[in-house]
Amino acid sequence: MNMALDAYEGASDEALLVLYGNGDPMAAQLLTHRLAPRVLGFATRLLGGDRAEAEDVTQEAMLRLWKQAASWRSGEAQVSTWLYRVVSNLCTDRLRKRRTVDLDAAGDPEDGQPSAVENMMDVDRATALQDALNRLPDRQKVAVTLRHIEGATNPEIAQILGISVEAVESLTARGKRALAKDLAGRREELGYGED
Amino acid sequence: MAKTDNQPMQDDELDLFFEAARQDVAAPTDALMAAIMADAQAHMPVVDPLPAPKAQTKGVFASIWSAIGGLPAAASLATATVAGVWIGFTQPVQLETLSGGLVLAGDYVTTDTSYALEDLAPGYLGTTLFAEDEG
Repeated sequence: MNMALDAYEGASDEALLVLYGNGDPMAAQLLTHRLAPRVLGFATRLLGGDRAEAEDVTQEAMLRLWKQAASWRSGEAQVSTWLYRVVSNLCTDRLRKRRTVDLDAAGDPEDGQPSAVENMMDVDRATALQDALNRLPDRQKVAVTLRHIEGATNPEIAQILGISVEAVESLTARGKRALAKDLAGRREELGYGED
Repeated sequence: MAKTDNQPMQDDELDLFFEAARQDVAAPTDALMAAIMADAQAHMPVVDPLPAPKAQTKGVFASIWSAIGGLPAAASLATATVAGVWIGFTQPVQLETLSGGLVLAGDYVTTDTSYALEDLAPGYLGTTLFAEDEG
């Protein structure tokens, strides 16, 4: 089984999706291992750190991918780009529904949830950034997260958000400026007060 | 010089935050992975298998008929048979004319012209023939 997985290792996401569409369960396994962590991380950030809700979104996004497999149109979009768009829409819908809830409270990490970051300073930075991201308008948050954390290119983000590349550049620039201003207020707290 | 809270962060400072966020990715739980795989199994497209070969129901004669090529082969065979019968019953004058009685000798020779071997191949018996003619 592991040998079979190794044989699929070099295959693109799209090739694996086609294999799954032809009834290959091994391809689904590899796709899940590749994509679920990225989808979960992205959803967690967009949802202000709410891990439980992010897991729901991840499962829903992957379910939509499985349902799409049979009618997947080759070459039209990358699988990851398509998934990011689905996740972005699902998270935006959920954020709209909970507008009345205090976003800061939603961003608190769950009790007993271990962080993947060992270094305490990095933990503080990641938390501070998440807080600052939560205060950005939704589309700025999505654009900045995709560009600077997920590593997506501007054309990919344009495809995900359904806007022009110029609009993406504008969104990310404004988002970064807002983050820089917001985080500057926490320099002392984060130990950046002196050179 | 100490940076004050009024000064926005520079790109290199901000990059440290993004880097920390990139590392802050908790792995999906086993329960989530299992749920995703269960969905994948449940919604995996069903691919029609190749149709199974039909059981052999032909009889012996049908098998022979099929083995020799069916109707086209039978038609060819019938044509060849009729042609053979026709050749046997009619005397092929043209064939005898062309071959000079060499092919169908004896009773079948109907042509008035007959050729000796040296007529057809003058050199066959050697050069003496030519010597006699010249002499």
